[in-house]
Amino acid sequence: MEPVLLRARGAADSRAITTYLGAGGYEGWKKALAMGPDAVTKEVSDSELRGRGGAGFPTGRKWSFVPKDHPGPRYLVCNADESEPGTFKDREIIEYDPHQVIEGVAIASFAIKANTAYIYIRGEFVRWAKILEEAIVEARQRGFLGKNVLGSGFDLDIWVHRGAGAYICGEETALLESIEGKRGFPRLKPPFPALVGLFGKPTVINNVETLACVPHIITRGAAWFAGIGRPKNTGPKLFGVSGHVNRPGVYELPLGVTFREIIEEHAGGVRGGRKLKAFFPGGSSAPVLTAAEVDVKADFDACAEAKTMLGSGGIIVFDDTVDMVEVADNVAHFYAHESCGQCTPCREGSDWCMDILDRLMAGHGLPADPDTLLRICRFASGGMTICPLGDAFSLPISSIVTKFRDEFERRIAAATPLPPRKLPVLPWAGPKAGFGI
Amino acid sequence: MPKLTIDGHEVEVAAGTNLIEAARAAGVAIPYFCYHPYLKVVGQCRICMVEIAGQPRLALGCATPAADGMVVKVEDSERAREAREAVMEFLLANHPLDCPVCDQAGECLLQDHSMSEQGAKFTTHMAETRRTFPGYERRLIGPHVMQNQNRCIHCSRCIRFTREISETAALTYKSRGNSTFIDTFDGSSFDDPMSGCATDVCPVGALTLRETRFRKRAWKLRSTPSVCPGCSIGCNIFIDHHERVVYRFTPRENPAINATWLCDYGRFLAESLNEQAYLAPQRQDHGHPAPAAWGEALAAVAALLRGAASLRVVASANMSNEELFLARELFGRHLKGEIAVPVAAGEPRRMKNGKGEWLLAKDAHPNAAGARRLGLDTVDGEGLSRFLYGGAGLTLILDPEAHPFLASPEALRLLRVGTTVVWARRSHPVADGATWLLPTPSLASDEGTFTSSTGAVQRFAEAFAAPGTVHRTATGGMSPDCPTIALPWGAPGEARPLWLVLSALARELGIETLDLASPAEVFTLMARSEKGFAGLSWEALGGLAPQESFRERQHVG
Repeated sequence: MEPVLLRARGAADSRAITTYLGAGGYEGWKKALAMGPDAVTKEVSDSELRGRGGAGFPTGRKWSFVPKDHPGPRYLVCNADESEPGTFKDREIIEYDPHQVIEGVAIASFAIKANTAYIYIRGEFVRWAKILEEAIVEARQRGFLGKNVLGSGFDLDIWVHRGAGAYICGEETALLESIEGKRGFPRLKPPFPALVGLFGKPTVINNVETLACVPHIITRGAAWFAGIGRPKNTGPKLFGVSGHVNRPGVYELPLGVTFREIIEEHAGGVRGGRKLKAFFPGGSSAPVLTAAEVDVKADFDACAEAKTMLGSGGIIVFDDTVDMVEVADNVAHFYAHESCGQCTPCREGSDWCMDILDRLMAGHGLPADPDTLLRICRFASGGMTICPLGDAFSLPISSIVTKFRDEFERRIAAATPLPPRKLPVLPWAGPKAGFGI
Repeated sequence: MPKLTIDGHEVEVAAGTNLIEAARAAGVAIPYFCYHPYLKVVGQCRICMVEIAGQPRLALGCATPAADGMVVKVEDSERAREAREAVMEFLLANHPLDCPVCDQAGECLLQDHSMSEQGAKFTTHMAETRRTFPGYERRLIGPHVMQNQNRCIHCSRCIRFTREISETAALTYKSRGNSTFIDTFDGSSFDDPMSGCATDVCPVGALTLRETRFRKRAWKLRSTPSVCPGCSIGCNIFIDHHERVVYRFTPRENPAINATWLCDYGRFLAESLNEQAYLAPQRQDHGHPAPAAWGEALAAVAALLRGAASLRVVASANMSNEELFLARELFGRHLKGEIAVPVAAGEPRRMKNGKGEWLLAKDAHPNAAGARRLGLDTVDGEGLSRFLYGGAGLTLILDPEAHPFLASPEALRLLRVGTTVVWARRSHPVADGATWLLPTPSLASDEGTFTSSTGAVQRFAEAFAAPGTVHRTATGGMSPDCPTIALPWGAPGEARPLWLVLSALARELGIETLDLASPAEVFTLMARSEKGFAGLSWEALGGLAPQESFRERQHVG
């Protein structure tokens, strides 16, 4: 497939607006302004573009949820808080082609009639935040942003907002709280952001990659886009392959290729000629797939059929040297650290899983541990929590326990009893801390 | 008005009512920890999971509004019950098993739920070491609030209280995930003027009141509905007492006045109700007070009243409507005396009602509005000094705490001229020099109504009769002077409420219309003859909920 989103990768001075304009940049923006918001939304709906952030929700439908007659401001937020382990596709787009994102943000803002857009970028992405800010200045100088864009009467301001390093702020409502200057706690839904979002106003939140697709849909037409991939799973997709492969990196492929093709052909196969053991198909929050399931198609519906999810398209590959208990432990550590602490099942469950897996790794497993893990995961997912972080730690851990239970059993069989607990000796906090008991 | 079915019970509720409240109306209990009727719904604790027919996922009782035709299953749904049990297991995974030494025990939502719903069947799969917060187990975070973070279930009620109700935003979450803990926003003292409410809303023993913790087990306390005497707002309270000792005030729900809140000033007046300096009537015997019997005292005071050349009466805005009415009728109408009601402007106090509006206190007394409504002259300190000036006749002081001026040397000089009869509870210079002193009990042993500054006439009930002296050491422990365990708080005294003494005096003086047997009778007479109280009936009077047990109350407060 000819590259679409990554067409500028490797070109000289690819970030400059002149390069972008030379490749037909901002034509989509001009065309969109001439089409009008409803036609733009319809074009995107017809393209069957689905959200690339992880949930795969149809983008055009999302835009159409914004009330048409709502008085006062509405907002578009571009989610560049790319924090999912194994995911590094948005960074690649911003690195080589930031104007693609800005054009996408502009078209989407126009479609929902938002005059202010925010790009919420991960705190650690200092370099990429700078790239975006420079690109915004360039676009503004050329009249693509600001007051009365290209004489159309439409005003648009884009602000880059840097996060402070919390994974949970990639969840759309926590992200909104973060932009508002509050603690990144996901909101209780409903109401959904399309009705009550940023600062209480209708808001659409789209992923970087989703928005980067939009200019291409407008310039080349919905039919072209829908022609890539499979029905209902259309368009190009960036797959970030990491782990035990020979050529890790970001690959742009049409949706619907098999994971075998991605891992073996594009990423050069498993390192050192070893055997594939398992892989995460879409970031560490997707249920793990085994080597036997490598022929599953990499798209939203096929992954759902295989009881996993495409997620962000971050494929993490494990070869046969990998201990899956350790993988589960690693995953548990990440999510226990990143749980926001708001609702009970996730706050207590993620930490509890971590404790059990740590104990297993330390060689003190108990026979009941796999079932306890499954029970925790069962009651921390499937709508038990406010946001999907409950599912994000439960699904991979429960899938690992289910699919690699023998590895757990082996460890438990070889386990030694837990050494007697030492009660912690608390330091004397001084008279102040305890007075007036 | 949506009509829905909850566990087979049909119920019709107002539009917008959530499932927890709808179920309450249907007589079904949906458990909750983070939900509070006067705070924003956050859906954090996840214990209120219910099954709604036709919905694939379980729904939150707190965040789901009742809809017409909805079929909700609480106890009948195996799936929801399992989910709730799992949430309970999550909550108890790290909650310390220290109920025996926790002061919240007995009024703890977590304990109640664990005992009532799960009984002895509860088992946990937890085999790990519990999470603890070393250094945060016994921490004073403000002048009144003690924190034990180990017990916290992260319901955020206290945080929401400081954000939405007291508007100080003093409390916040710090850290993340399972290490999340509650702290004051910038680490400074939690000196919110309503900080006590944070301990009320805390469903567990994570926040407790320094003043009342470990003083009395919750299940020993009896709660009597009453009205806060602190200012003219008239917040509804419960007097929590045991064996003739008042331990604490807790807020009683009243959406129009105090929702479920109470300010710290009012809350900590509870302790002062135990002060009873005068136990029996006293007369001056050659410059020394000598005890006397009530029969002797009433006859002597009646004789003084009959023979008085002039009569001045200092009433008080701390008196109930009934007492003010009796005083006005007896001393004003029948004995042609002059009556003044001193009113002091107190510290500015405020309270937020159920609609989120601030009510401001106009006076430092609970019943200044009642005095005005009865047409009595209200005077300030200067007016009171003019009232007391000159005239060597008989002066009655129905409450020495009516105004701070009465404790001043000038007032004592003015009162030295004539004869004085004083009704008093706490030690007061005016009372000590009185010709006759008649002991009155505290609010806890009185019964009647107050008129709040918003105009609501609210009843307060008698918690216990015959108050006695309270023997207590400074730290609140039992005094070594206590004679027996059976009667640890001293012999009952003979203080009698003012209304009773006034009607007894009326009998002595032969005024039969005022010889009444109860505040209810006084009120009925008042409602018949007074415009301001017309149409009110004692039984139907607002503000006095049927007596609830502390356990039920806790689910709202």
